[in-house]
Amino acid sequence: MNRRKLLGGLLVGASVPALAACGGGITSLKGDGGSGGSGGGSSAGGLVIGTANFTENQLLGYLYAEALRGAGVKASVRPNLGSREIVIPALQQGDIDLLPEYQGNLLLHFDDKAAQTEAGDLQNALTVALPSGLEALPYAAAEDKDVFCVTSGTARKYGLRSFTDLAARNGELVFGGPAEDKKRVVGLVGLKDRYGVTFKGFKALDASGPLVKGALKKGDVDVANLFSTDPDIEANNWVVLADPKALIPAQHIVPVVRAAKADAKVRKALARLGGALTTRELARLNKLVSNDKKDPDEVAADWAKDHGLAKR
Amino acid sequence: MTIDWGWFPDHQDDLVTLTLDHLSTAVPAVLLGLLIALPLAVIAHRVRPLRGLLLGISNVLFTIPSIAIFVLLLPVTGLTRTTAVTGLTIYTLVVLLRNTVEGLDSVPAKVREASTAMGARPLRTLLTVELPLAFPVIMAGVRVATVMAISLVSVASYIGYGGLGQLFTDGFQRNYPTPVVAGVVLSLLLALVADAVLVTVQWLCTPWLRRRA
Amino acid sequence: MIELLRDLVRWLTSGSQWSGPDGIATRLLEHLQYSLLATLVAAALALPVGLLIGHTGRGAFLAINLSGFGRALPTVGLVTLVFLASGLSMWPVYVSLVALAVPVIVTNTYAGMAAVDPEVRDAARGQGMRWYQVLFQVELPLALPLIMTGLRLACVQVVATATIAAYVSFGGLGRYVFDGLAQRDLVQVLGGAVLVAVLAIALDLALAEVQRLLFRNRPPRAHAH
Repeated sequence: MNRRKLLGGLLVGASVPALAACGGGITSLKGDGGSGGSGGGSSAGGLVIGTANFTENQLLGYLYAEALRGAGVKASVRPNLGSREIVIPALQQGDIDLLPEYQGNLLLHFDDKAAQTEAGDLQNALTVALPSGLEALPYAAAEDKDVFCVTSGTARKYGLRSFTDLAARNGELVFGGPAEDKKRVVGLVGLKDRYGVTFKGFKALDASGPLVKGALKKGDVDVANLFSTDPDIEANNWVVLADPKALIPAQHIVPVVRAAKADAKVRKALARLGGALTTRELARLNKLVSNDKKDPDEVAADWAKDHGLAKR
Repeated sequence: MTIDWGWFPDHQDDLVTLTLDHLSTAVPAVLLGLLIALPLAVIAHRVRPLRGLLLGISNVLFTIPSIAIFVLLLPVTGLTRTTAVTGLTIYTLVVLLRNTVEGLDSVPAKVREASTAMGARPLRTLLTVELPLAFPVIMAGVRVATVMAISLVSVASYIGYGGLGQLFTDGFQRNYPTPVVAGVVLSLLLALVADAVLVTVQWLCTPWLRRRA
Repeated sequence: MIELLRDLVRWLTSGSQWSGPDGIATRLLEHLQYSLLATLVAAALALPVGLLIGHTGRGAFLAINLSGFGRALPTVGLVTLVFLASGLSMWPVYVSLVALAVPVIVTNTYAGMAAVDPEVRDAARGQGMRWYQVLFQVELPLALPLIMTGLRLACVQVVATATIAAYVSFGGLGRYVFDGLAQRDLVQVLGGAVLVAVLAIALDLALAEVQRLLFRNRPPRAHAH
């Protein structure tokens, strides 16, 4: 754990000047329309929205940008920055201001012992677990859970319906997911601790992207970590394994923001977006981007306009 | 693999933005590399024992995969353009240092001695005699470094600062070859245009070489 | 910094890190396999072209500009493009590594051939040597030092770039770099980078040794330019 301490130390060291430069300052003295009572942030300078390295996250980033612009807040999007392990420190350092996140996995990033699985509990736990300077805003109706899938052929061959069945096949199957899965609770760590599952091998691929889906199709991996909103699961008849012991927590979309930037405008705009964005809508938008090759920023702009969130 | 030709006219603005983004990472890297390489090369040229050390270090740096350099810079410079620029600077430095040293070496000792004999101080000799004579070799280095920097910017797409390389990640994730083709072609064109610009600059700056030809 | 280096030494020296299917030994061998195969294929393609251009003097423009084109080609883009065309296979890796190495070898081979004194060539022809005798007995030996330089340069670049295999889900030392990035594990990234650098330098030194042995068996006269 020395390593983690060292990295933490470096990050804290680096973040001091960044926070000092951006935190409040003159703008916050103006009050800026009463910032919902916490932190006294200001969105006057605009927000930089970071996104992780998978398609849906970019779409969400552009949706956030549309909602913010609709509320008169300047916003820009930085697509494809990397995994959570990369973007969260960037948020803490102030390189970016706002991230579309997923409740359960975000909580586990800060507290890998967290046991909450239900959306409301997770939100409360997040408020406690997030480091000072970061804040989780109200979560969206939409949810995108991690799911562990097998092909229908594999399910039949090994009699797999749930994670419990996986334990009966310890040492026989190969697991594929993004590299970070090896060390995540929603990944190999949790499967072993909660269900006693061990695999023959682990293949580092990508986050519900072409590598992991290609490998599942080809049979290079037997069990794959995908996202529940991925249109390819249905298209390929892949079997989503059940999780009777609730290893995978609720994963509603949740905006994580630097408190210094979160004023009433930002809060209200993102809350309105969250109320309107349902799981079914998100899945539909994902399909437009991934399958129909529409640009995520245009899909987001159209959707925001249709839902009265964009600037009129 | 089919190319969606309609994509190109619809994305002119995006392509311009990404191209500018690409340049604003590559150009500072080359300039910064030059700024560091010139004094280091002079030192390496004058102080023989340091020469092997400096060239050796820069050669070793060259063998480190560029993606690793970007990642290792993350705790220092964060998820910012600075990380991309700094990483690329390290690569341009290798080429620029080597070429500048070679350029200075190519200046005949007699020429330098003549300048000194005429009463010029070492700095003046360096600026008015050695560097102009070494200019063609140094420029050859600048050309190689520039072309290399432009093609390497796309590696920074793994940390979100890849300029045109962002099109590669996008096409990869969505199984969509069109943006990837656009990115490869534009990146190539950008490198070739930059090289042509540098050739022209060199031609304009060295009238004495033209007359000889 | 000191702590990072201490962790690096621990990472590099721990026995468990070296063994197993994702241990350093396996990754090192995979990396070596990708690099050597790519360099060999590239040499097989590039050497005849470079020798031909150098021997005939035709296509010199191509040979000179090819290296610039090779440098300008964005490897990540090429890997992605071949991946989209071929799916999950080793093709993207080998195609882009070969594409990286070919221009370097062609250009250096041509440069070596072009540096051969035309009088030597003419003298050989004057003695009644056939074209292949001129090529293999006169030009090639004289061009060898620059050809070897090209091979070494190509090899170093290929080793450093073979990291990309991990991007399209394969092995090699790039696994540590990409997995370390995903997990924000700098020690792993640094370890991978150091191993790649060591492998590149080791191969370069090995080729330098091959070059030295090649020259030792030749009459000293052949060195003259």
